[in-house]
Amino acid sequence: MFYIHDIAAISPVHELFASSPENTNIISGNKLLAVEPVYAGIPPTVLRRMGKAVRMSVGAALHIIQKHPQLDGVIIGTANGGMEDSIKFMNQIVQYEEGLLTPGNFVQSTPNGLASQIAFMVKNKNYNNTHVHRGLSFENALLDVVMLLSEQPSASYLLGGADEISSYNYNIDWLAGWYKKEEVSAERLFNSSTNGTIAGEGAAMFLVNNTRTSATAKFTSLFTSHSTDEAEIQKKLEHFLEKHLPKGEQLDLVLSGENGDRRLLPFYEAMEATVGENAGLLRFKHLCGEYPTASSFALWLSCNILQTQTIPAVLEKRKARSTTFRNLLVYNSFQGHQHSFMLISAVE
Amino acid sequence: MEKTQLAQEVKKKMIEFLNLSPLTPEEIVDDAPLFGEGLGLDSIDSLELIVMLKREYGIDIHDPKEGRKILVSVNTMVDYIETHRTV
Amino acid sequence: MGIISPIGASVEQNLMALRAGTCGISKGNFIQSKYSELLPFGEVKFSNESLEETLNAHEPGVTRTSLLTLHAFKDAVEDAGFSAGIIRSPDTAFIGADTVGGMCLTDEMYKDANLLSHGSAYLASYDFASVNMYIQSRFHLQGIVNTINTACSSSANAIMYGARLIQQGYATRAIVGGSDSLSKFTVNGFNSLNILSNEICKPFDEQRKGLNLGEGAAFLVLEKEEDVGSKKVYAELSGFCNKNDAYHPSSLSEVGEGPYLAMSGALKAASLSPSQIDFINAHGTGTENNDAVESAALLRVFEKVPAFASTKSNIGHTLGASGAIEAVYSVLNIVHQEMYPALHFQSPIPASSLIPNLSYERRKVQHVLSNSFGFGGNCTSLVFSKT
Repeated sequence: MFYIHDIAAISPVHELFASSPENTNIISGNKLLAVEPVYAGIPPTVLRRMGKAVRMSVGAALHIIQKHPQLDGVIIGTANGGMEDSIKFMNQIVQYEEGLLTPGNFVQSTPNGLASQIAFMVKNKNYNNTHVHRGLSFENALLDVVMLLSEQPSASYLLGGADEISSYNYNIDWLAGWYKKEEVSAERLFNSSTNGTIAGEGAAMFLVNNTRTSATAKFTSLFTSHSTDEAEIQKKLEHFLEKHLPKGEQLDLVLSGENGDRRLLPFYEAMEATVGENAGLLRFKHLCGEYPTASSFALWLSCNILQTQTIPAVLEKRKARSTTFRNLLVYNSFQGHQHSFMLISAVE
Repeated sequence: MEKTQLAQEVKKKMIEFLNLSPLTPEEIVDDAPLFGEGLGLDSIDSLELIVMLKREYGIDIHDPKEGRKILVSVNTMVDYIETHRTV
Repeated sequence: MGIISPIGASVEQNLMALRAGTCGISKGNFIQSKYSELLPFGEVKFSNESLEETLNAHEPGVTRTSLLTLHAFKDAVEDAGFSAGIIRSPDTAFIGADTVGGMCLTDEMYKDANLLSHGSAYLASYDFASVNMYIQSRFHLQGIVNTINTACSSSANAIMYGARLIQQGYATRAIVGGSDSLSKFTVNGFNSLNILSNEICKPFDEQRKGLNLGEGAAFLVLEKEEDVGSKKVYAELSGFCNKNDAYHPSSLSEVGEGPYLAMSGALKAASLSPSQIDFINAHGTGTENNDAVESAALLRVFEKVPAFASTKSNIGHTLGASGAIEAVYSVLNIVHQEMYPALHFQSPIPASSLIPNLSYERRKVQHVLSNSFGFGGNCTSLVFSKT
């Protein structure tokens, strides 16, 4: 469908843009916080206003844009954008009883701030869109890019996914039972048998176009679904692989969105049963935590694996039979009601 | 309060309200323009400064045009605060 | 098409109100805010309770934004004659837009977010997607579902995304639009930026003092020309374009680069020359910045600016719903071959001297351009044409 060239991520895992994801995370109170670099490319007057989601997005995007200044559009998926600023503004409303309020938080609270700040930084006046469909925000941004590259085959786009842990947002999801009540370390996440997971955050950006030469990876196909029935998702996965896995080729690796939440296990187990024994099984949520656009981190990780043909041991649940990796499937479920399959292949 | 002391206080509060750190009060020149050149503030900052004058010094500015005359430099703000503060 | 706005709860009621030059802006009855009596609002004239009753929407955690969405969605699919099976078919896409989501419940969200509660019924209802997830689960939608938020241009982008899904074969039909409800959050936000008028808004007037916030929802059903057959067709979505002004987070550049690029791009996509546009549904919020910039951009695109008006003088600025509501109004211009009067206008902005259309007029309307410009410089223009 398209080729991924440059990639960049700011996440809890690693130093900015380091190619090995095997560093340690910072975890505190079931929150995996992103390691932020010194944002040398962002002027201090601009940086001071940015919330974390915007900072991470612009920081990661600039790394790509500096090498590829000619972009035909910026397409971002983010479920919540500047959530921290939204609630800071809400707190002001209550604290000052709707009196005279400072507008800074309000302006920063709008989720299209991520894509538009990237556009402002480099004065890019082209296509600019923001998808906010919770656990399928990044996937819808991806589909947007798939369509754009079919409409404008010679174009190049910046595609990204980002969300921040806001202490307030964490509270809301904690009350709703999406995070574990007991503290759990990242290493022990998959041994946990309770409800809930750990929170994460990050930004992952991709330069994508239709050029095969010197590409990092090929994005082959995407499927999204809303369902709470694992049998239905399993059937859809079978159909997806049948339709999109090239004839005579096998699935070498599967990146599973398993997140330590007991309630979501049936979906991941159904997926494991479908893909069979041959594919290596990898997990990543202990590195980035759970957030609505974590699939963008999974895509970043996939690109690294396919390009370097190496698998960091920290990811492995079951070793791959093959030693070269061509086809990789990402299956992610968000809160058990939104699901996505992404098929990515190596470029020789 | 001495004028220099008030200027120091205003600059500290500005840094807090406008998220100007790591800038220090010493780095803000009292008679340098706040907007455009100088500190490089913009229209959103001017709204934030109006809120700061209200919350910290009890000064009401209703007309944005009036605000523009007051928010020229730290000096012009200090002069206005000295004569109009209610807290 | 389905719509609920401050001037009516159906397409027919909105049509009558537009023809009569009705203004739905007044002091707030339902919005819980200190400003409800102090500022004018374009409020939908139904309480949450009465909407829940008429829509039979008694699920826990349903917000006003979701109720408005449900109302317009139901009307749209009924108008299109869709069965429950068609609605949930995997080749039916649903693309909605909103900028407030469940934040209309500002006080509940404040308590939940600060752990001052044991968890309200609305924990899953605050985000932008919650509105469309409600529709997804209520109608068991199986096709592509998406939520877009590009501030005030959100639902214009939802319409564009749905059209592209059909063009590219990802859907056979798409239900597209947007919604937003009045909230303490947005009222205080726009107020802190000094862009709310304490009088009823006067788009494109020299003495304009800002915008009035409104609320509502609208959805349109899109299908490919070759799939339409003998079905009723209101109009053709003949062109669209999304561009960014790349200038400032909350105001547009003086020359109106983003608006200029979006309008000229939409005309190009529709293969039309500027002189072929009969009417423009302007973004026209009534703020100092928007109306001056939009006027400048109109003068750049059009040698002779065609008849134009902003229906925000009828209903206020409905944010995430505005692009979709105004798409419905643009389609009404075409279906009934008429133009509706802009309200509250007295004297033109000296720099541009542009005067909106001030009277009800029956006339040939072949092509309508509809503008939506938002915070973050997100600008989208759509072109609707008579089939």
